Amino acid sequence: MAMRELVTGGAACAVPGSSSSSNPFGALANALIGSSSKTQERLKEIPSSTTTATEPPFYQDATAEGRLRGLPGAEFDHSFSHHPTPQGSEFLRGFRTADQNGLADAWDEIQRSGPPPPPPALLDHRIPPPQLQPTLDGPPQRVLSNFLHSFVGTSHGGIPFRPSPLPVLGLSEGDKQCIRDRSSIMARHFFADKSEDFINAQVNALLSSLDIDGDMRAKGPLPGRFRELEDYWNESQGALRPGPPQADGWVAEFSQHRIDHGDPNAWAHSFEQQHGANGWASEFEQEQRLVSAADQMGGANISNLAAREQTRMLAHTLAQNNDPKFQNSKFLQFVSKMSRGELIIDDNQVKPAALSSPGDWATEYQQQYTGGPSWADEYARDQLSHGPDQWAKEFATEREQSGPVDDQWVNEFSKLHVDDWADEFGRQVGEGAFGDGSADSWADAYDEYLNEQVVAKQKSDASRGVYVFSDMNPYVGHPNPLKEGQELFRKGLLSEAVLALEAEVLKNPDNAEGWRLLGIAHAENDDDQQAIAAMMRAHEADPTNLEVLLALGVSHTNELEQAAALKYLYGWLRHHQKYGTLATPELSDSLYYADVARLFNEAAQMSPEDADVHIVLGVLYNLSREYDKAIASFQTALKLKPQDYSLWNKLGATQANSVQSADAILAYQQALDLKPNYVRAWANMGISYANQVFTSASLFTAPSLVPSLASGMYEDSIRYYVRALAMNPKADNAWQYLRISLSCASRNDMLGACDSRNLDLIMLMGECMVLLTPRITAFGALAEGYPDFGKNLHGQEVGKSNMVYWS
Amino acid sequence: MPVFKTPFNGYSVKFSPFHESRLAVATAQNFGILGNGRLHVLSLPPAPASPLTELISFDTADGVYDLAWSESHDSLLIAGVADGSVKLYDTALPPAQNPLRSLQEHTREVHSVDYNPTRRDSFITASWDDTIKLWTLDRPASIRTFKEHAYCVYSAAWNPRHTDVFASASGDCTVRIWDVREPGSTMIIPGHDFEILCCDWNKYDDCIIATASVDKSIRVWDVRSFRAPISVLNGHGYAVRKVKFSPHHRNLMVSCSYDMSVCMWDFMVEDALVGRYDHHTEFAVGVDMSVLVDGLMASTGWDELVYVWQHGTDPRAP
Repeated sequence: MAMRELVTGGAACAVPGSSSSSNPFGALANALIGSSSKTQERLKEIPSSTTTATEPPFYQDATAEGRLRGLPGAEFDHSFSHHPTPQGSEFLRGFRTADQNGLADAWDEIQRSGPPPPPPALLDHRIPPPQLQPTLDGPPQRVLSNFLHSFVGTSHGGIPFRPSPLPVLGLSEGDKQCIRDRSSIMARHFFADKSEDFINAQVNALLSSLDIDGDMRAKGPLPGRFRELEDYWNESQGALRPGPPQADGWVAEFSQHRIDHGDPNAWAHSFEQQHGANGWASEFEQEQRLVSAADQMGGANISNLAAREQTRMLAHTLAQNNDPKFQNSKFLQFVSKMSRGELIIDDNQVKPAALSSPGDWATEYQQQYTGGPSWADEYARDQLSHGPDQWAKEFATEREQSGPVDDQWVNEFSKLHVDDWADEFGRQVGEGAFGDGSADSWADAYDEYLNEQVVAKQKSDASRGVYVFSDMNPYVGHPNPLKEGQELFRKGLLSEAVLALEAEVLKNPDNAEGWRLLGIAHAENDDDQQAIAAMMRAHEADPTNLEVLLALGVSHTNELEQAAALKYLYGWLRHHQKYGTLATPELSDSLYYADVARLFNEAAQMSPEDADVHIVLGVLYNLSREYDKAIASFQTALKLKPQDYSLWNKLGATQANSVQSADAILAYQQALDLKPNYVRAWANMGISYANQVFTSASLFTAPSLVPSLASGMYEDSIRYYVRALAMNPKADNAWQYLRISLSCASRNDMLGACDSRNLDLIMLMGECMVLLTPRITAFGALAEGYPDFGKNLHGQEVGKSNMVYWS
Repeated sequence: MPVFKTPFNGYSVKFSPFHESRLAVATAQNFGILGNGRLHVLSLPPAPASPLTELISFDTADGVYDLAWSESHDSLLIAGVADGSVKLYDTALPPAQNPLRSLQEHTREVHSVDYNPTRRDSFITASWDDTIKLWTLDRPASIRTFKEHAYCVYSAAWNPRHTDVFASASGDCTVRIWDVREPGSTMIIPGHDFEILCCDWNKYDDCIIATASVDKSIRVWDVRSFRAPISVLNGHGYAVRKVKFSPHHRNLMVSCSYDMSVCMWDFMVEDALVGRYDHHTEFAVGVDMSVLVDGLMASTGWDELVYVWQHGTDPRAP
């Protein structure tokens, strides 16, 4: 120990604050002595909350290089040997801190996707330098740092900033890429309110004042906008990322041509040679760069004007925020000054980054295509297929139309372009243009994503109260669809009842009862969105119908839409002849949960024998997630109304949501005893059954304790979901949860069928599953006891999503 | 309450899960846009009036964007670095012998690190290369890469109860829920219309997750029914950078934002904003709550200051 202390010198040899204060002797000692037995003991110590090392020489008491020896392959096992293993040198290379000589090299490494740094530079880092300046004195860092901060500093004194140090900055390509990428990603966080154009202008202003091209491939664009397409093309090019290697190639080539004063035709030819016909997208990207570069050469005046415009916009934004804190923010001043600096730089080559937005490329392409006779024609002639041209044109047109409306892009895009694009993609794949299957899976994922977006859109439409009618309705023209619908509903043939009731409300749009029953049928059929839409129509037809108001409150609670739920529950109270006096009209303007809950508690005190009030209270407590209180309310209501099957279901759902799955199943049992065809109760029971796997109600939980039992439970739940879907194939939730249960039960073979929503196939495979696990549940047997059940239009039964619903 | 001045701009702060007076701060030069990084390990003074003391610091060749304390070794720290590397540090060893390891797999900035609190042998990192990677201490390479997000992944957080489940928040405006035993994500929550910068699980209800977005809001979701958020917390004036549930109170969470404030929320009540702290003079980008001391909070920001204070008190009070 003493020797180690002596040799390593403990903290005394280390220069506080200096990073690489490595002591070669200490390193040697470590290598020789290795770990001590003391360190092993330390490892076994139970961590306590006591402070073991608060003294400033923090690591001195830890004579314990080997404390983490338990980590196989830990680098310091090797790093100080004179012949470092690859791992060891990796470690050293990674730790390059404030080494002044190597800083620039280290920064080069930051250019991650770029070519590897030259090997000689790395040699410098194999052995850390013994002593360092405490300050970072490397040419780039010092100057840049001083530049940035004096920049900020001078702003306070109102001294005009002279960006004279700029030319000597000598930022490496890696640095520039860092600044470009990071500032554009961060700018999208700072300026979320602003348009895409503004953000681009902002970033470009900053970049060009630092003499950085903005048009290299940066990770800047808004999420998902065009990246999928670009990735796809890059993948087809065999490149992992939009690649600087390509760009470098281009740069080299470009400079050659620039020297030659090469005409556009010449470089167009060399592009073809370099990339082949299939690489049109990457060619285009590069062409776009060329175009912008050409612009820089020819149109410097135009760029200057653009830059001034950008600065004006920036100043405008900053002026908008009156918060003194923001006016004083060094960072925002930094951004602002940077962009203003651009106006001053006029003596060295300004490289305006006017085209950095990838979103502009298509437009640019189009302009170039129509306006530029030389390369575009060349290009078009050489492309056998006109698909890409067409696509790009359409894309550009759409881009012009949609402009900066960011949140619309997915819809716009999916509506207008995916087909064309997907065709194009399919054609390319068919031709074997891409060897690997990754493109395929990517395309699937992308389609899936778009579908989700579309579905989500549809849902949000429905939630706004737009009722979506079925396409084919055999009951249209039926003499008395309402009566038929009531009859079907009574029999529990819910999907049929929905059709009949839709026919009724098509015939009599003002029939509140028709809409109400339709809403209830949807709710019991596990479609709250449609239920809400129908109930809202019923509400329009009869604004004071208490049942409608209560149903709307419940449905909105199911959808976790608290404000809407409160509105309708309050409406119920206000229109109730007995409790209407409790409701004060001014309250309806701003409904708070606490107020509404208070009113209903008062109502419950007024007439404790009114089950309806207790039901509403139960719903309210669900809204606030006070499940114990909710259960108590429903139980009180059930004492008054023991025959209400939907009430039993509500109780069960509440119990399930508060992680009492076993109790929940008993409650659902009661509901089903009263109404054997109650789809939602069946569905909920399936869920609770699946949830019994878990100690909590979480659905994706690990079946870690008893894997075989868990897997059996999952398979049971799968059967319920399948039954639900058979009865109502439109239940999106059920599809989603079916998929989860399938993967949890390791039925990956069925996932494909699930994704394609092929219920027949799933049921076929499900037969095998049941045979494999002969676990006929009591509930399954019960279902078979009711011949009506499972013989609706589609032939079968039940299941439901995981957050248990009630109606 | 104690303050510490960092030479670089603060990026993240985390309390040690083992020592109640210890915390670590990740910093980056030039706002993380370009330059070096430094990791500080700080100690709370015995008396609240004295400043925080630095126990040790480690330098890196690029900004440190996030860090995580190991849940298994009290001295082990994991740092996510802007050059794409993930570095392991033993704070009981001098800087010369650190980092223990530098794991270079991410191709872009590593923006978040989270240590598995239940299994204690693994951690996940989220990166601007659109992926999340799963690592264990005993392997020199990542175990799995999760690549589904279409844009930068800003944050990934383990579920506090289920060892295999984690959530990730991305600039593609979605949160994804993953089970490491499954081939793909289990759930996709299109949580916001703008980029999502952070997500965290409720420590008491394993189905509840909070998301922080560029749209200035925090939303609280029940993963069992994610069509609509349970709650939307408005009050920040700019993008919300981080959100973190309280380890001690089910309904409390803390957030920090580009509006330079740190806010405490109770997502179950109408007036959700419980407290607002305006002590930072630049973007507040790092915040944490101590697991060991109820109500002890820490924050850091681009004003190069680290504050530690008790909830309800003024962080700037001497």
